[in-house]
Amino acid sequence: MAEPLSPEAGALRPVAGALPPEVGALRPEVGALRVVDFGLSSPLRSQTLWHAIGFGVSAGAPTTLSFTRPAAPYVCLGYHGALDDVDQEYCRAHGLPVLRRMVGGGTVYLDADQVFFQICLPAQAVPPVRWRALRMLLEPAVTAFRAVGVPAALDDDLEICVGHRKVCGHGAGQIEEAVVVCGNLIQRFDHERAARVLALPGPAQREQTLALMRRFVAATPVDPAAFQAAMVSAYAAALGLRAVPGQLNPVERRTVADLDDKFSSEAWLAGPARPLPAAGTDRPARRVKVRAGVWTLASEHDGAQVTASVVRGTVDRVRLRAGGSDWPARQAELAEQAVTGIPWGSVADVLADFGEPGRRLAAAFAAAGPGAL
Amino acid sequence: MGALMGQPARARVAGFELALDRRYQPETHMWVLPSGPARARIGMDPLGIETSGTLAQLSFVPIGTELTAGSPFGQLEAAKFVGPLISPVSGAVLAVNDAVVRDPGLAERDPYGAGWMIEAGVTEAGVTQARRTDDSRGDVTGARAGLLADPAEISAWFAAKVADYRLKGVIAQ
Repeated sequence: MAEPLSPEAGALRPVAGALPPEVGALRPEVGALRVVDFGLSSPLRSQTLWHAIGFGVSAGAPTTLSFTRPAAPYVCLGYHGALDDVDQEYCRAHGLPVLRRMVGGGTVYLDADQVFFQICLPAQAVPPVRWRALRMLLEPAVTAFRAVGVPAALDDDLEICVGHRKVCGHGAGQIEEAVVVCGNLIQRFDHERAARVLALPGPAQREQTLALMRRFVAATPVDPAAFQAAMVSAYAAALGLRAVPGQLNPVERRTVADLDDKFSSEAWLAGPARPLPAAGTDRPARRVKVRAGVWTLASEHDGAQVTASVVRGTVDRVRLRAGGSDWPARQAELAEQAVTGIPWGSVADVLADFGEPGRRLAAAFAAAGPGAL
Repeated sequence: MGALMGQPARARVAGFELALDRRYQPETHMWVLPSGPARARIGMDPLGIETSGTLAQLSFVPIGTELTAGSPFGQLEAAKFVGPLISPVSGAVLAVNDAVVRDPGLAERDPYGAGWMIEAGVTEAGVTQARRTDDSRGDVTGARAGLLADPAEISAWFAAKVADYRLKGVIAQ
C-alpha cells in the first residue's frame, strides 16, 4: 500500500479539554486510558488506524479511546455485509471508495461531517454477554452526548437516540483478544447520499429508504472538540482509568501497514463466503435496516412485487404490484390501503381477501420476513 | 469418542434442553458430536446462543481449513457485535452448514440438530488429547479448555453455569 504512515500518526492532537485535570488525578494508582486523536485521515486510514489499535490492545497495549474523521467520503460495509448491497457503479463514478471493517453493523455512508470514536479494551475486561458489553461500552458515549447538550439515551435496542431518532451509529467486534466498540458523532448527515449508495431493486425502495432515514436518523451539530473532551472524561470515569495522551506503538504502526494492504484487497472486500440461495427459492428479498425496528424491503414471489416500509412491526407504507395478471389498478390501491398500518403478522390474513393475486403478494411478504423484522 | 446409537439423549436442565449424547467445551459453549468415521459435527449449545443474543449473521472458514483447538472456525454477529466462533477440536474443516448461514435462526430453534455449524475431521485421539490438557480443571463452572464427556458432569456444569448467569442477571430467571 502506497499510503505512508506519517511520523506523527497516532500522536495526540490537541483536543480542547481532552484531559481534564480531575480525571484520574485523585487515583494515581489506576490504569491508563490511552487517548489517541488521529485527526483527519484518509478513508482507508480512518479504518485501519483503529483496527491496528485492536490488535495492539490484544497484544498488551492499554485500553484506548481513539478518534478520527475521514478526510473524504466513502462507503463502509460491516464484517458480514454483502458487497452487492452497495451500488458499486455509482460509487466508482463518484469517487467513493468502498471498504469493509472487521466489526459488525450495516453498510454506511461516511464523510468528513462525522467524527468516529472507538473504545478498545481487553476482551477479559468486558462481560461475556454481548448486550451487557455493548451497554457498558456505549453508556459513556451517552454521558458525553448529554454533557454537550444532546438529550441522548441508550434505548432498549442499544442504539443512542434522541427521541425516536438514532443519532449515533455503532458497531462492535472482537479483534483477537480485544473488544472494540466504535461509533460516530454526526454533525451533518447526507441522507440522500446515504440512500443513494445502496444497490436497490428499484426507485420505490430507494424513495422509501430515504424517507425513513430522514425520519429516523438525525445529526447532532455540536462542537466536536467539546464532544471529544466529554468522551474522554466519560470513558475514563466509567472504566476507572486515568486518561493519558498516547500514540500508536511500533507494533501497531507496522500493523497499520499490514491492514492497509488487507483492507485494499479484493478478497477482503468480497467478504466472508456466502452460500448460493437454495434451489427453487425466490430471489432473496432486499432488506435495508434504517435503525433497529425500522426497515424497508423489496420482495417478490411468482411475479408479485412488494415494496414496503416496516416500523416497529407495523406496515408503514407499501407498494404492491401483482404482475402477470389482469388485476385492476384499483384493486392494488385497495390492497395497499388495507395493508398499511397493520401488524406485519396480519398481512397474510388481510391479503387473503384479494384472491389469487393477494395470495401471491402474501407469499412475497412472507419471503421478506419476519426473521430480522 | 464413540458414536451413540438410537435416540439422542436429551434432558431438561435448569430450563434448557441439554443433549447428553455429545461432548462440550465449557468455556465456549460448543458441542462436538461424531458424525461419521473420524469426523464430528460442531455447534453451539442453547446457553451460548442465549448469551449471544439474536443471531444476525454467521460465517465459517472455507472447507479444508486446518483448525487447531482454540482457533476461530468462523464469526458470529449479534447486536452488531462480531465475535469469533472458537473450535473445540483440532482438525480440517470437512463441511459447513449452508442452511444455518442462510438462516442463523436455525441455531436458535434447533441448536443440536439443523443448527449445526461445521464438520471437522477429528480423531478420538485428538479429542482425548484435548481432554487430557484439562486435567487441572477446577470447579464445574470454570472457564477452561478441554471437553466434557460424562453426562453427569455435563449436566452439573450446565446447571451451575445457568445458575451463575441467572445470579448475575445475564439471563432471565
